[in-house]
Amino acid sequence: MRRGPTMTARIGSYGVLGVVGAITVLPLLYMGALSLQTEAETLSANPVLWPETPQFGNYAELFERAPFGNFIINSIVVTGGITVAHLVFDPLVGYVFAKFRFPLRNTLFIALLTTLMMPLFVRMIPLYVMMSNLGWLNSYQALIVPFLMDAFGIFLMRQFIQPIPDDLIQAARIDGASELRIYARVILPQVKPALAVLGLFTFVFQWNEFLWPLVATTTEDMRTIPVGLTLFNQEYFTLWHLTAAGSVILFVPTVLLFLFSQRYFVRGITLSGLK
Amino acid sequence: MRQLTTGPPRRRRLRGPLAVFAPSLNRRYVLTAYAFLIPAFAFFGLMFYLPIANIITNSFNTGPQANQFAGLENYTRAFEDASVQNSFTVTFIFGAATTIGAIVIGLALALLLNQPLRGRVVFRAALLVPYLTSVAIVGLLWRNILDPQLGILNRLLMDLGLPTQSWLNTHPLATIIAVTLWMTVGYTMVLFLAGLQGIPEQYHEAATVDGASPWQRFWRITLPLLAPTTLFVSVMAVISGLQAFGQAYIITGGGPANATDLYIFHVFNVAFTSRDFGYASALSFLLFIVIVIFTVIQLRVGRRNEVQY
Repeated sequence: MRRGPTMTARIGSYGVLGVVGAITVLPLLYMGALSLQTEAETLSANPVLWPETPQFGNYAELFERAPFGNFIINSIVVTGGITVAHLVFDPLVGYVFAKFRFPLRNTLFIALLTTLMMPLFVRMIPLYVMMSNLGWLNSYQALIVPFLMDAFGIFLMRQFIQPIPDDLIQAARIDGASELRIYARVILPQVKPALAVLGLFTFVFQWNEFLWPLVATTTEDMRTIPVGLTLFNQEYFTLWHLTAAGSVILFVPTVLLFLFSQRYFVRGITLSGLK
Repeated sequence: MRQLTTGPPRRRRLRGPLAVFAPSLNRRYVLTAYAFLIPAFAFFGLMFYLPIANIITNSFNTGPQANQFAGLENYTRAFEDASVQNSFTVTFIFGAATTIGAIVIGLALALLLNQPLRGRVVFRAALLVPYLTSVAIVGLLWRNILDPQLGILNRLLMDLGLPTQSWLNTHPLATIIAVTLWMTVGYTMVLFLAGLQGIPEQYHEAATVDGASPWQRFWRITLPLLAPTTLFVSVMAVISGLQAFGQAYIITGGGPANATDLYIFHVFNVAFTSRDFGYASALSFLLFIVIVIFTVIQLRVGRRNEVQY
């Protein structure tokens, strides 16, 4: 056992962590306060930390002055669609690479991992042209289809499926179970924690994604929340109380998910080190 | 998760009477495997390999549809273009500073949190929370806080009797670097924490018994054994530094005077404001080459550095 730090070291550590923690958390709390201020308060040359009377009506105003309902629906459909797709496809392909032997397996696996070097920002122009040629610009297809699968998710699932004993699979085959049934009944239940990590991370990243929805949508009613927020902000000029209210709506789902599953998040970040 | 630790035999031939079926079974499994893989590779081919092929071919073209052959014109133009050079320098400084900052601050915080302190989980959560926010939130929020007239920061500085700031005008690049670190440092901290927890306790104990100071233990044990984590963190930070976009798009608009014209933001404007797809493709391809180089370095160095405990 390591001895604990000395009293001074302990106080010093708490001091530093407290200051850094305040720097990370307080701006986000201020965002909450800003969302409850009147427009005049946000534009005052003498800004306040807390509004005189909290304006909960700002949240209703959001829906009156911008198609914020559309933003929310779009974000849910797009993020939900992509997350479900990842949870369906990534483990399936990961399973094939983990447990099947077939010609070209290694070559195909390397070809798959190579796509990790092709991030969206390198591909955004040809993808934009492709979506435009397909007539998909400004549609859910354009926002979802380029993200149906992810090499890292597949890699992660393969790592988790590999240690499952082959005997379990063979036994199921001898019992006459179909391949899909084996996958659903034998493999998937064994990798539930990895699926949770995959689902959480896919959700948070897609929920926050900014660049592609900005590129692939052209009308206001197709924006997702992150993009809607900024356009809203530019088009209506510094309506900070509404910008902040919209930010809170965007932020709350991820922070709730995080608070209820911090363990999985930390695990997921650690797993990203597997790359 | 128990199965993770057991090491079952990988390849088991069917024995006994079932062996007769093995060849036909195998063929069936091969077909099953391909049946699953064909849609997957159709997807990766269309959404990854084809776009890369497209930026390569389009990079030799010009015109609004990028369909007139221009040879190497886009590339020679890229190397002579002062705005590209500026953008490259800006991105280089941004990438280097965010990478070094992420490593130094992330590691320092991880070392603090690796002590047996009460409330570690709470601090870890507090430091990680900005990482969960969208760059849209981060950008807008800090633009508001830092605003010289409306921002709360100047109000607080005034109340404390300190000089006020307009950092987004006076030090724009340093400011968006700091904002980026605010967002990402929790992530590197968690990676370093995992790395630290992977270092066997005995090493530190043995060194302590031999009279090594904490400082010596850090430089001689912790840092060398963390090398794989540090390498991973740096490559991740470099790549996310290269892809920073929202910071310029939302906070600074690339200004003032192009001081924060991050590369992706530049390419975005060439493509979608100037509608110069050929030139934008060439610029994208140059970025792709940089990413490939960094990834190859990571793989090469990473393999050499693999630590055996």
